[in-house]
Amino acid sequence: MSTPAPRRHNGPFSRQNLWATLTGGYLPLLIATLVMVLPLLWMMISSFKAPQEILSTDLVVLPENPSLANYEAAWNSVPIPRFFLNSVIVTAIGASIKVLLAIFTAYALVFVRFPFKRVIFVLILVALMVPPQVSILPNYVLIAGLGGVNTYWGIILPGLGTAFGTFLLRQYFLTVPTTILEAAELDGAGHLRTLFSVVVPIAVPTVATVALVTIVTEWNDYIWPLIITSEASRMTLPVGLTALSNSEGNTGAGWGILMAGTVLVILPVLIVFAMLQRHIVSGLTQGSVTG
Amino acid sequence: MTRRARRDALVFLAFAAPNLVLIAMFTYRPLFLNIQYSMLDWTLGASTATFIGLDNYIEFFSSDAGLTSLRITAVFTLLTVGGSMVLGLLIALALNVNIPGRTLARSAVFAPYVLSGVGVGLVWLFIFDPNFGVLAWILRQMGLGSPQWFLDPQMSLVMVIIVYVWKNLGYCAIVYLGGLQSLSQDIMQAAQLDGAGAVRRFFSISLPLLSPTTFFLLITTTLNSLQAFDLLRIMTPTGRGTNTMIFESYLQAFGGYSRAGYSATISVLLFVILIVMTVAQILFVERKVHYS
Amino acid sequence: MTSSLHLPRGFSRRSLLGLGVAGAGALGLAACGGGPTVGGDDGGAGGTEELDLDFEGVEPATSIDFWTNHPGGSQQVETELLAAFTEETGIEVNLVTAGSNYEEIAQRFQTAQAANSGLPAAVVLSDVWWFRYFINGNIIPIDNLVDQLGIDLSDYRDSLVQDYQYDGQQWALPYGRSTPLFYYNKDHFAEAGLPDRAPETWAEFEEWAPQLTQGETAYMYPDLAGYAGWTLQNVLWGQGAAWSDEWEITCNSPEAVEALQWVQDSVFSGGWAQVSSGDSADTFAAGVCSSTIASTGSLVGVLESASFDVGVGFLPGGSVDGPVCPTGGAGLGIPAAVSKEEQLAGAMLIEFMGRPESTVAFSAATGYMPVRKSADLTELTAETPQIQTAVDQLDVTKPQDFARVFLPGADQEMAEAIASIVTEEGDVQAAMDGLKETLEGIYTKEIEPKL
Repeated sequence: MSTPAPRRHNGPFSRQNLWATLTGGYLPLLIATLVMVLPLLWMMISSFKAPQEILSTDLVVLPENPSLANYEAAWNSVPIPRFFLNSVIVTAIGASIKVLLAIFTAYALVFVRFPFKRVIFVLILVALMVPPQVSILPNYVLIAGLGGVNTYWGIILPGLGTAFGTFLLRQYFLTVPTTILEAAELDGAGHLRTLFSVVVPIAVPTVATVALVTIVTEWNDYIWPLIITSEASRMTLPVGLTALSNSEGNTGAGWGILMAGTVLVILPVLIVFAMLQRHIVSGLTQGSVTG
Repeated sequence: MTRRARRDALVFLAFAAPNLVLIAMFTYRPLFLNIQYSMLDWTLGASTATFIGLDNYIEFFSSDAGLTSLRITAVFTLLTVGGSMVLGLLIALALNVNIPGRTLARSAVFAPYVLSGVGVGLVWLFIFDPNFGVLAWILRQMGLGSPQWFLDPQMSLVMVIIVYVWKNLGYCAIVYLGGLQSLSQDIMQAAQLDGAGAVRRFFSISLPLLSPTTFFLLITTTLNSLQAFDLLRIMTPTGRGTNTMIFESYLQAFGGYSRAGYSATISVLLFVILIVMTVAQILFVERKVHYS
Repeated sequence: MTSSLHLPRGFSRRSLLGLGVAGAGALGLAACGGGPTVGGDDGGAGGTEELDLDFEGVEPATSIDFWTNHPGGSQQVETELLAAFTEETGIEVNLVTAGSNYEEIAQRFQTAQAANSGLPAAVVLSDVWWFRYFINGNIIPIDNLVDQLGIDLSDYRDSLVQDYQYDGQQWALPYGRSTPLFYYNKDHFAEAGLPDRAPETWAEFEEWAPQLTQGETAYMYPDLAGYAGWTLQNVLWGQGAAWSDEWEITCNSPEAVEALQWVQDSVFSGGWAQVSSGDSADTFAAGVCSSTIASTGSLVGVLESASFDVGVGFLPGGSVDGPVCPTGGAGLGIPAAVSKEEQLAGAMLIEFMGRPESTVAFSAATGYMPVRKSADLTELTAETPQIQTAVDQLDVTKPQDFARVFLPGADQEMAEAIASIVTEEGDVQAAMDGLKETLEGIYTKEIEPKL
């Protein structure tokens, strides 16, 4: 069968394509983008509004006198910098360990000979199905018994075992050609060297995906830190955020303060995401197709 | 055992044991404890409990509350999985054009996925507020009243489904986009030359070729939807109309009833459902792949 | 990392065994979990162990935890009061935000109870939670401590102290105590040509309602979750009905059904009332409704955010004479599972927070009741005259129905039943019959065996 010569494409903005580009290309993109972005924009605008502007049935689009009063109120009622630092510490330590554990486990499952590997893999898969709420009470009892209430390790430890990362990486490692591994073995490389100088470099996009999902989960984790911390000095941002929504206490000013607090939780993630989005998104698109 | 096999076993353990021990301690151990708790009449906070066998399970399946929770779980899961996959695919198709600015759109679409469920819930609560929310204002301009998002249990469910889909469709879109980009351009162009229209090209070529991606998404989004929690709790703290099983389990233990035993029962049932769904999906797809 | 490749052989074996191919190992671990002791059918009340309540010669702990949800936005004033307490006694108090509402603080308290660790020396407990803690043996009776510290209970407002008495013992002392108040928009009332006061009865308000067209609705029922069970006692009592008479559930009596039918009519056929889906005080402050019922705890916030003159009054009565206003809010209790030193220090803290000058400071910041009779209110009422109304109303309050405050989960069930009546126009009799059945089920299952 003869392959037809590829048709020469005209640019998207050439005369015959312009209309199609606008309606077929930009319109859907624009709608999708607006739907995703406008709610977040609304949150930011509202965080600068006065209570009367928020508690109004007439829409006040832009605040007349944009003020930082809501941020001040949020800032003064809870130690936000402390929450932020705690979130960073917990996420950095927790996510790094989790990614490492996932890499090691997935490598062992794919490239190291061991009996019952299939059973172990199934058990890891099953762990994915255990709803996290199930473990709150038993884990609290255990961690509290070890003295882990209000400690970083108490927040981090129960979440360290990683089934998702292991699963995703194992699926990817299975696609790595065995010839590469054999070559490394012939070179006399041990498992550790093979892992870090051969396998991981190939799997960078998938590792990035796992890292992203892990970081996001750690940063946003809510119910466990809520239970295991009672002191502001160890609370993470999402926990601190709900502390802002005090019942009966914030009549009138409530929404503005909450929106300011939400901005402080969401914005750092958005900034990190904006900086890394190129790698993250391409990692995710490549990584997950293999699943 | 040869020396080589022993060495391999050691390496395996050194690599995998830390993770496996952690999973055993903090995932399996609670799971088994829950199975034990699920057969108790145990008030949270009390130091004693009574063994009641399967009474809690019987109660779940014979009470209106239990069956309602089951139904809400089904509706929520079906609509959120369906909604985010269909919309995600549509957006992926829109993103799969080579025009400037699409990187920006791609990031915007994906962004909500990485945000805190608590934060997203609060933002949308503010938008949905029937008095002061921007949505109510828009509806008023159109001469409509705001639905009672928080009073009418059905509307509460609709609301959390909308927000959940909003937050998660970016994930589906990005994964589908990856799938679309891996499709061979040759096949598409050949079909185009054969005179197949865009719609037919999509249904008879793209969609079937995307089935591994669809399968991957189906499993992961179903698991996620069945375990969705933060958003529901922040937006509808009482769970009226939105008490999916995981939420109902939480409410029974911590939402005023203090029924730790019954709560564990619901968790165990949810776990069983998750297992069954996953196995069923895997079997179904394997058969389909086999025959095609 | 390289070292992990050369682990001693024994370690690997052990970790393999510990892993026990996951399942078996986890089962073994499960056996030593911290859950409850499983008893036979007798089950028995929690806290069967003999409590040692003799505090003679006990030295107070020098550092304690205090768990609060800062009711009414009271973090600032709590911090100030605790600083004064530390200065006086030398006891360091760690102020813990243990939740953002009464449910979250209860969730944390009960979880800590299950672990039997990390408990505070004093904890905020709401009207619907303390009884459960008593039933479960989570808190101690404080009578001995009251004697030892010379706390003058007779100077506390009687109805507020009595709320925490059961079994002839005192289980807590009042703290952030509130009553519902009738809030009205003075501007709206003036425009409508109505007198500048709260209606004396609901019948009177029903006559006024058609003129109150300045907002979207004349009256806004407060958010059902957390408020329906509480504030509707007002309507029920006014018609000679109640959720319950002691432990007998009476929510489907003809009087109760009639009273709640009236509530339904006010929303649907009457059309002069709506049900708030958020904080009704917010909608009131924004002028959406001309009047509402909200907690006294919202008073300061409403006054700050409303752009009109705010009037407050007693809750309207019904056709039957007698008190129609329930008390509510939170008290302070002492956990059973902490050391006696901590319990003593906790009691000292409770004593301090209940002093007349502390309670005035707390009220000024939040709008909650000053809980002491001898509290000097001149400054307080000079600044916020409306608070006098709340204090005066205390004389006509009545302890809440057992069904609402003593049955676990009853408040949620009531809110649910009321929701079906006022949001879905469900049949009142059917909803109340169903509620009665549920509440009786809770009583026979959770309460009766443990009393």
